[in-house]
Amino acid sequence: MLSGEFHTTYASDMALFETRRARRALAVFIVALFAIPFAGTSYWLDVANRAAIAVIAATGLNILTGYTGQISLGNAAFLAVGGYTTAFLANHGVPFLVACPASGVVAALAGMVFGIPSLRLKGLYLAMATLAAHFIVEFAASHWEAVTGGVAGISVPAPSVFGASFADDRRLFFLTVPICVGLLYFARNLFRTRVGKAFIAIRDQDISAEVMGVEVFRHKLLSFAVSSFYVGVAGSLLAYQARIISPENFPLALAIDYLGMIIIGGLGSVLGSILGAIFLTLLPEILRLGTSALSGSFPHLVQLFTPLKVGVFGLTIVLFLVFEPDGLADLWRRIRNWFRLYPFSY
Amino acid sequence: MRLILSALLSLCLAGSAQAQQEIKVGGIFDLTGITSDVGKPYAQGVRDGVAWTNENGGINGKKIRLVDVDYGYKIPEAVAAYKRMTGDEKVILINGWGTGDTEGLKAQVNQDKVPYISASFSAALTDPTKTPYNFFVGPSYSDGLRAWLRWVKEDWKDKSRNPKVAFFYGDNAYGKSPIEAGRRFCKDNGVDLVDEEIVPGAFQDATSQLLNMKQKGADYAYINVTTTGVSTILRDAKKLGLATKFGSNPYGFGEALPQIAAEAAEGVTGIMVDVPFGENVPGMKRLTDFHQKNHPADTHDTFYVRGWTYALVWTEALKRADKAGQLTGEGVKAALETFKNFDLGGLTEPVTYAPSDHRPTTTVNIYQIKEGKLTKAKKYDMDRRPDWLGL
Repeated sequence: MLSGEFHTTYASDMALFETRRARRALAVFIVALFAIPFAGTSYWLDVANRAAIAVIAATGLNILTGYTGQISLGNAAFLAVGGYTTAFLANHGVPFLVACPASGVVAALAGMVFGIPSLRLKGLYLAMATLAAHFIVEFAASHWEAVTGGVAGISVPAPSVFGASFADDRRLFFLTVPICVGLLYFARNLFRTRVGKAFIAIRDQDISAEVMGVEVFRHKLLSFAVSSFYVGVAGSLLAYQARIISPENFPLALAIDYLGMIIIGGLGSVLGSILGAIFLTLLPEILRLGTSALSGSFPHLVQLFTPLKVGVFGLTIVLFLVFEPDGLADLWRRIRNWFRLYPFSY
Repeated sequence: MRLILSALLSLCLAGSAQAQQEIKVGGIFDLTGITSDVGKPYAQGVRDGVAWTNENGGINGKKIRLVDVDYGYKIPEAVAAYKRMTGDEKVILINGWGTGDTEGLKAQVNQDKVPYISASFSAALTDPTKTPYNFFVGPSYSDGLRAWLRWVKEDWKDKSRNPKVAFFYGDNAYGKSPIEAGRRFCKDNGVDLVDEEIVPGAFQDATSQLLNMKQKGADYAYINVTTTGVSTILRDAKKLGLATKFGSNPYGFGEALPQIAAEAAEGVTGIMVDVPFGENVPGMKRLTDFHQKNHPADTHDTFYVRGWTYALVWTEALKRADKAGQLTGEGVKAALETFKNFDLGGLTEPVTYAPSDHRPTTTVNIYQIKEGKLTKAKKYDMDRRPDWLGL
């Protein structure tokens, strides 16, 4: 049983990581994370990179939907804005270190523009307004051929930082994961600040937030901007990772996937975004391994894989909503507490 | 539980025993996407062609293992599958499918030196200075369209004016692939291109596009979508009572068309890259024998034959590369480039790849549906013009 941790100041009570032990565990975890590129095969590194990108995007969406309570179906569109900005800049010789944050900024601007309806709209209506953003961006992506390459897509050169090329997934891991860790750190910190707390106040009751002196519209727009920045950076990394992007990289189903990630992971929780994104990225891989292991005896299973993926995704969401509405993050908290308090669970 | 464990164990053991004499080949197929109507029989053909090769000596004694995946006609899925196949499975070559994904992957394929033999007949893949590792088996989409336009010119009897032609194509790389070549050919050969109609990926209704076309007064129309889409257009045209004569690309024309489109398909012309299944040509015997032995109840079509021709072409390349002791991506590419009028027993036109020109053939066969049957109408030997390479 863990004991002897007392918070004697407000500062320590509000600290980012509650205990010294948590800090140590995290440090060990991050070091262990960087062992992956030396152990994994290139395909699993591709999966790891996709997971890291999904974590960034899901965290962005969680800031907007989980923390600020603004539902958005436009995140695939903001991902596309980030991706195409990167494609455009990178093809004009702009290096990674500029193109990646610039993509985040452009996506943040797009997010603010499409966030304007949130002044007036809430809930389902806002979902519809952001859905419009999705279709507008999708239309632009398939028809503004000079910039986006149209339906055939556009290729993106390999990212390079100070002359070092990050052409394959093994090397790219050293870009995606540090960026992911940095953005997660920022997100955790954000909710210890006035702005982050204003987001939460708006989610819980926007009228009382206004009464308490939170400028609701400004903070809603800010939330859209921060959220879209994250999603835009994820889009940029996605473009660098896939090396070719087309409108098919950003279907509406992807926006739903991200919502699924934060629902399964846990709304309003950074840890939830991480767990949900990793879970939903690994799910199809596990299904694929399962179907291909059985395809020797059932050759038609390969054909079932795509529909199976969609079916299992739907079933998972329903099951989580019913049995674990607070998501994987809460499940993790309970498991941790059980061990922490063992054997005196009361 | 014990049963499952022992089954898993035996699977693993079987896997490791096979691994020694195996050549891994990737397969990226569309079994569930918008082109799955023709993608499924094609994939079956490739698989059967591989199984047949393995039963008949393999690659000089070595067995081929086809690692295949359904990518649902989605470019990102194809990219992920490609990464897995080259990274994890270390396949020596890939048998691909669509135009969009093949053109999207061409830079990576070139970088990784993986021969990519795909079902896309896009002419953009035939210029080895740009796409040295891309191959296909058949005349390009562009040569197909040019040949069809030549047929239009010959079929047009009214000499007082040029024939008016319309193009129907999907809003994707496959749909658009031959369009520029078609536009130029029309301009140079006295055919008036009066209309271009774009149709969505999957559609149930083409009435508005057809009414547009009717207004422009097209005498002929070329449809560049797969069979299901072609039959939708034909049935809607019949409903509207249009007199336009329709032609179809090599993925929109086969045994299935007169069956789905019924009398609306009557008189329609189309490019046939491979002969119909069961056609009396010397190369057909191994297909029908294999079919009788393994799945006599199934029906097959020209797309199934196409899958076979692909498997036969790249297994031959593997054999040649193996004999030269060069069983690598580069070796297979070099072996493919030794193909000179490689005869497939009449299943498709003889295949030639030169190091400076990857156009496998420029001979185009046009078939016409007469009384519900596919009948050979015309054979054109298109010019191997240097300025048409890659267009």
